[in-house]
Amino acid sequence: MAALLDVRDLGIAFPAPNGMLRVVDRVSWRLDAGQTLGIVGESGSGKSLTGLALLRLLPAAARLDPASRIRYRDTDLLDLSEADMRSRRGSGLAMIFQEPMASLHPLLTVGRQVVESIRRHTDCSALEARRKAAALFDEAGLPDPGRIGRRYPHELSGGQQQRVMIAMALAGNPDILIADEPTTALDTTVQAQILDLLRSLQAMRGLAMVFISHDLAVVTSMAHEVMVLRSGRVVESGSTGVVLSAPESTYTQGLVAARRRLSVRAPAATPSRSVGPECALELRDLCVDYPGRGPFARPVRAVDRASLTLSAGRALGLVGESGSGKSTIGKAIVGLARPTSGDLTLFGRPLAGDGWRLSRALRRRCQIVLQNPYGALNPRLTIEQALIEPFVTLGLKPPNGRQSRIVAGLEEVGLDAGFLDRYPHQLSGGQRQRVCIARALMSEPGLLICDEIVSALDASIQFQVLDLLNRMRTARGLALLFIGHDLEVIRYIADDIAVMHRGTIVEHAPADNVLDTPQHPHSRALIDAMPRLDVTAPSEAEDGWRAQHRSA
Amino acid sequence: MVTLLATVLIHIARAALLVFGVTVLVFILVRAIPGDAVDVLAIEGGLTDSQAEAMRAGLGLTASWLDQFTAWCLSALRGELGESLRFHVPVADLLLQAIPVTLALGAASLATGFVLAVAIALIATLRPRSIVASLVDILNIWSIAIPTFCAGLVAILVFSLWLGWLPVLGNFLVPVIILGLDAAGQIVKPLHEEMKELGTAVYIRTARAKGLHPLKIVIGHILPAAAPVLLAMTGLVAASFIGGALTMEVLFGLPGVGSLAFNAVNGRDYPLIQAVVLFLAVAVILINALTDLAQRLVDPRPER
Repeated sequence: MAALLDVRDLGIAFPAPNGMLRVVDRVSWRLDAGQTLGIVGESGSGKSLTGLALLRLLPAAARLDPASRIRYRDTDLLDLSEADMRSRRGSGLAMIFQEPMASLHPLLTVGRQVVESIRRHTDCSALEARRKAAALFDEAGLPDPGRIGRRYPHELSGGQQQRVMIAMALAGNPDILIADEPTTALDTTVQAQILDLLRSLQAMRGLAMVFISHDLAVVTSMAHEVMVLRSGRVVESGSTGVVLSAPESTYTQGLVAARRRLSVRAPAATPSRSVGPECALELRDLCVDYPGRGPFARPVRAVDRASLTLSAGRALGLVGESGSGKSTIGKAIVGLARPTSGDLTLFGRPLAGDGWRLSRALRRRCQIVLQNPYGALNPRLTIEQALIEPFVTLGLKPPNGRQSRIVAGLEEVGLDAGFLDRYPHQLSGGQRQRVCIARALMSEPGLLICDEIVSALDASIQFQVLDLLNRMRTARGLALLFIGHDLEVIRYIADDIAVMHRGTIVEHAPADNVLDTPQHPHSRALIDAMPRLDVTAPSEAEDGWRAQHRSA
Repeated sequence: MVTLLATVLIHIARAALLVFGVTVLVFILVRAIPGDAVDVLAIEGGLTDSQAEAMRAGLGLTASWLDQFTAWCLSALRGELGESLRFHVPVADLLLQAIPVTLALGAASLATGFVLAVAIALIATLRPRSIVASLVDILNIWSIAIPTFCAGLVAILVFSLWLGWLPVLGNFLVPVIILGLDAAGQIVKPLHEEMKELGTAVYIRTARAKGLHPLKIVIGHILPAAAPVLLAMTGLVAASFIGGALTMEVLFGLPGVGSLAFNAVNGRDYPLIQAVVLFLAVAVILINALTDLAQRLVDPRPER
């Protein structure tokens, strides 16, 4: 049987100062009707470009290798005129993207955007198209499908936006759905719902799917076949079960191992140094309000009577969906958000009386690392200057010479003196995040607040960072407040877990208790939504791949 | 709803304060210029010093500035803008005759510029390598480098004096074209830059992935997204046309607000100057408010 989609020797290159830079190199695969191909790779592996190439939507600078062939049914898409290709987009092959908010037109109602797609591909009246749009919204699981079309994207949640994108992709009745990291920007519970939706749509419509993600667990829960890309080359491909249970390349073995390591706890991290039961952080009934919009709007309560304790050398995981208030707690601790009421005690010093201001000595002992390493480094400072800055701002004696603390700090995070003269833009995301961590550690803090610090990083680098923090914990008795939504990461590092939901802490217990026997329904929902890597599931069984995903 | 009302009230209060400030400033400035309306009349009509003094006292110009200002404010609040010192007719009548001319000139020029700018920006976005695309920069440089009165003088010289096609005075078409080109040049460049930038936006890629025709993408997706920039630039140009068409009106002898202001300043006709400035201030504030309102209508997202 001829494949629905047959890609041969796909090559993509970008012009670079010294010749062409090949970012996708002779990638070949085929996709049969109703099947799902998963493409896995870290950032820069060429997986997204591979997806865009199928629709011929590559960036203008990209050059296709002349040997490339993309055969869809009985035509080669690369031979088509632009006009013929246009008629295939949306009707033959449709695509959904990583960030639903950015992928929808912000100034047009979602109904209009879907109706436009319908009318592009089917000959029908505006009224009929609106009816069809409502049916698609219903199929995509959106509430109130008859009226939700009048809303604008910003009035919908992230999950609803992605559902709109899916409805829009289905508008032209495509055979193939290309999903490029469709759930990466979403919360874990929402991710599970969207993945379920995609699976059921695939079953109902007999869609073939190309599912692109950096997350091995997510891909394998969706795909019949997996292709692993690295630096634009295929390092491994085959049926999901085989690739997972017996990966051939060392790279894939590493990916699988990295993911599996996450499902266990890090080697017990009891502080070796004899630290007393010093309490690094204590919150009691802490409330934080944000001002509402407009002069008479009521303030919005972001954190509602939160109580936490964290001792030196321990790691506390603070989890919850976006908007649950977990980042606000982190900000309140370092003085970036002002609490409304309650008590906040840092190293035995209550802050409520001081107008929530941290003294310089406290600021030295209490540091924060933020989620986005791209925005956290001044682009005009070299790495060396960035690392010296804490000494200046905290009134410490700056280290002299390059053989000093600065280099030691860089080496601690797995970088070396060669980075000192570089600027942030010359570093990868992972390297930048490590610089941020090194900078936070310069003042030898006793408490480090990590706000989603690994979610922007690839799996292999996530580990290096987590292990580094664990070492600091044992070596220095560093207390870690680890804010995140990825439970796998939290399980790996945290001793205790606090679960937040709409501003309140609904559960606060040892990590194993929370993960194995969650008490609060919301904790249970979070844990059930976690994508897992389950290599024991048979790949050939028709619904084996569905069973791998625990949330049915 | 309460917050909306509060926002509106705050806006109105701020606007009123602004109008008051402008009025005070102009009141002081016109009196700081040497010579008053009586001096002008004295030169024109050969008045003796004592006659001039009597006239000053009759017109209330001998009172202190503060008294003059309070008197003017009180009558202005009642809707009376006073009488022209030189023409002895109510200032309001002069203004009402002039406003339609200025509005017609401004609206026609603005419409010309708007349509031209949008059309050129659309074509330039669709066909970046076409001749039209180079018009963006040519028009923009034209509007920066060539003052409208220079273009006006040359147009009079060429079309009226040398070719004899058009009457020198009272012609409407030439100033509209010159002002329209000027407006187009100011609007088209930022609009085109914005549209080029938006062409790489993720949601425009979505539109392409739907299989839409490029023309449809430019008109239906990129242009609406660029509407805030288009509106802001159009508002700026509109505000500048309310008072800034002065040179064009004077040059082509159009009896609009610009000409009125020009004559009033020359004749030190204080009530007329103040009335014209009051009109300009209110008009500019009104245009800005309308621009703001239009911005909110095209962009449903709450302000960040």
